[in-house]
Amino acid sequence: MSEFLNLLAAGLTSGGIYGIFGACLAVWFRVSNVLNLAVGDFAMFGAIGTAWLVQTGGLPFGFGIVADLAGVGLVAWLFDRLVLHFAFDRGKGAHGIVSVFFYTFGLSLVLEGAARAMFGTDVFAAPAIWPGAALAIADFHVQRAGVLVIALAIVSGLVLWSYLRFTVSGRAASACGESVLGARIVGIDSAKFRRRIFVVTAVLAALFGIVESPITGYTYMSGPTISLIGVVAAGFASFRRPGRAVAAGLAIGVAEAMLGGYVSTGYNDVLLYAILFGIIIFRPEVLGLGAEPA
Amino acid sequence: MTEQGTAAAAAAGQDTRPPGAAVHRVRRRDPVPLAAAIGITVLGGLILAGMNGSYLGLTVTTGVGYAIVTVGMVLQLGYSRQLAFSQSVFMGVGGYGTAVLETKYGFSSIESLLAVIALAAVISLLMGAVVTRAPGLALALATLLLPLFIYQLATYSSWLGSFSGINGVLPFLTGPDYESTLVRSGIVSVLLLGLAAGLVLRVMRSGIGLQLMAMAEDERLGESIGVSLRQRRLEVFVLGSVLAAVGGAVLASAQGLVTPDLINESTQITLLLMVFVAGRKSIAGAILGAIVIEYLTTSTSFISTNIGIIEGIALLLILLVEPDGVAGAVDRLLGRRTDQWASSLRSWSAGRLRARGGGSVGSGSGV
Repeated sequence: MSEFLNLLAAGLTSGGIYGIFGACLAVWFRVSNVLNLAVGDFAMFGAIGTAWLVQTGGLPFGFGIVADLAGVGLVAWLFDRLVLHFAFDRGKGAHGIVSVFFYTFGLSLVLEGAARAMFGTDVFAAPAIWPGAALAIADFHVQRAGVLVIALAIVSGLVLWSYLRFTVSGRAASACGESVLGARIVGIDSAKFRRRIFVVTAVLAALFGIVESPITGYTYMSGPTISLIGVVAAGFASFRRPGRAVAAGLAIGVAEAMLGGYVSTGYNDVLLYAILFGIIIFRPEVLGLGAEPA
Repeated sequence: MTEQGTAAAAAAGQDTRPPGAAVHRVRRRDPVPLAAAIGITVLGGLILAGMNGSYLGLTVTTGVGYAIVTVGMVLQLGYSRQLAFSQSVFMGVGGYGTAVLETKYGFSSIESLLAVIALAAVISLLMGAVVTRAPGLALALATLLLPLFIYQLATYSSWLGSFSGINGVLPFLTGPDYESTLVRSGIVSVLLLGLAAGLVLRVMRSGIGLQLMAMAEDERLGESIGVSLRQRRLEVFVLGSVLAAVGGAVLASAQGLVTPDLINESTQITLLLMVFVAGRKSIAGAILGAIVIEYLTTSTSFISTNIGIIEGIALLLILLVEPDGVAGAVDRLLGRRTDQWASSLRSWSAGRLRARGGGSVGSGSGV
């Protein structure tokens, strides 16, 4: 029983990581019909940037977090103003299915390259927000950073879900994703919602990177893999439901841990990806992707 | 007539023949694919012979391997807009297939090449029959997962050499020394690239190509004119996958080894950049893009160190300014220049005619 509980705790921790990135992807996709493939790179900048500011720059931890999150928010805002504004508000450049993937893919490459130039190839981890030994109840152990990760994932998922479901602003944001033209006709500024939510999800991803980095550590190359898992979690939530993305992420994490614990420690990821692949191919209706975004 | 209209007319114009038969018949003797195949082979062979087995020659041969893959991606992603990201996996089929057959079963390089082409065709047919049923984003999502788990499978498998891969892959042709071996194998690689480009051009310029274009613009339009969407999707998937496998075999042969890096998501990202920056609808762009980006990423200059930033900014600029890539920009510039030349020629010849006969020459008469 204790083995099961420990595996469950490990699975929920990694699942929380997948879930929150899935939620960030889903909420922005719902507004803009674009997948944010740079979400993992924002998390990487959160973790490495804070570690660098605190350990090399000598800033106090709290101030380092604030400065790093402000920097990430500024980068996201600038990207929207310099690229997305021209692409989506002024109608320049590539559209259709290309725009779903490749604008943020370009941003991801730039962020990865910039991180390599600024921080090198070392592994970084921000200082622990809740330092101390792992929490233990009988034979059940869970790291403090893991508790924060799970809690932050659940809270973020609930907040994003509530925002979209119960607030006028959230409904207006959803309307932008349904029809930009229709939203504009009824007076909704779709560009403003796209920009605000892009910045908020970038900052949230960076915060998550800071909280989570004591567990896994980050290098400049960590972003794309995180983004990819986030895309999978978001995919199981139709790319549009942040609450369901968190649940999907948690389920994926638990499945991964259980496969590792009870089936094969070496091949758990292989089995997991194969199962996910099979679900997507044989039961695509689970994804709820009946129609492609415009 | 627009391209869509042409496709519709081509496909719907015959009552008794399959869709696109009329255009297919008209273009049967199209000389462009064969000329392109011969041109690429001759020009590439001369360039590689001129490099005489230098390091640059090896880089170009490696770039040729990637170019075979990107030529297939032009048909898949650029022309048919099939969102499949499985090319690096099929490069792995080609690379690992060649390595296993040669090092464990004693196949010659040509036998192993033919075998991996057949293997890739069978695997892609089986896989394609399933994955091409998925709607656009689901297909993208499923094929995004493929490199992740195939990469891990390769790294855990001792039979496939684990992280260090398989060494001792044979060159396509052996010479008396390393340099001549590199040149001869490079020429075979360029021949394969020429064949790949000719084949893809043949498809793109046929009635099937017009059907694919109609499908890419609007699937309902394609269906309404009698195009079998599922069959065409499957054909494009198989052709793109087989070309990716051939590219993987060329890379393994050029480098003498194959490692799991061939399969991972970084390779897929590099392939996408090669196609999108250079021009996702242009065969010439895809070939040059693959070779140039391979050169930039392997050179030791400032560019190779900061390649990520440069590629990212280049991709964003291309998407914003010229979505058809560098090749699209060049096409447009050349088109403008050709229009200017034609206009000048018209004015000049009209002036000459007036001077000779004093008659009026209408602007629409043309030259």
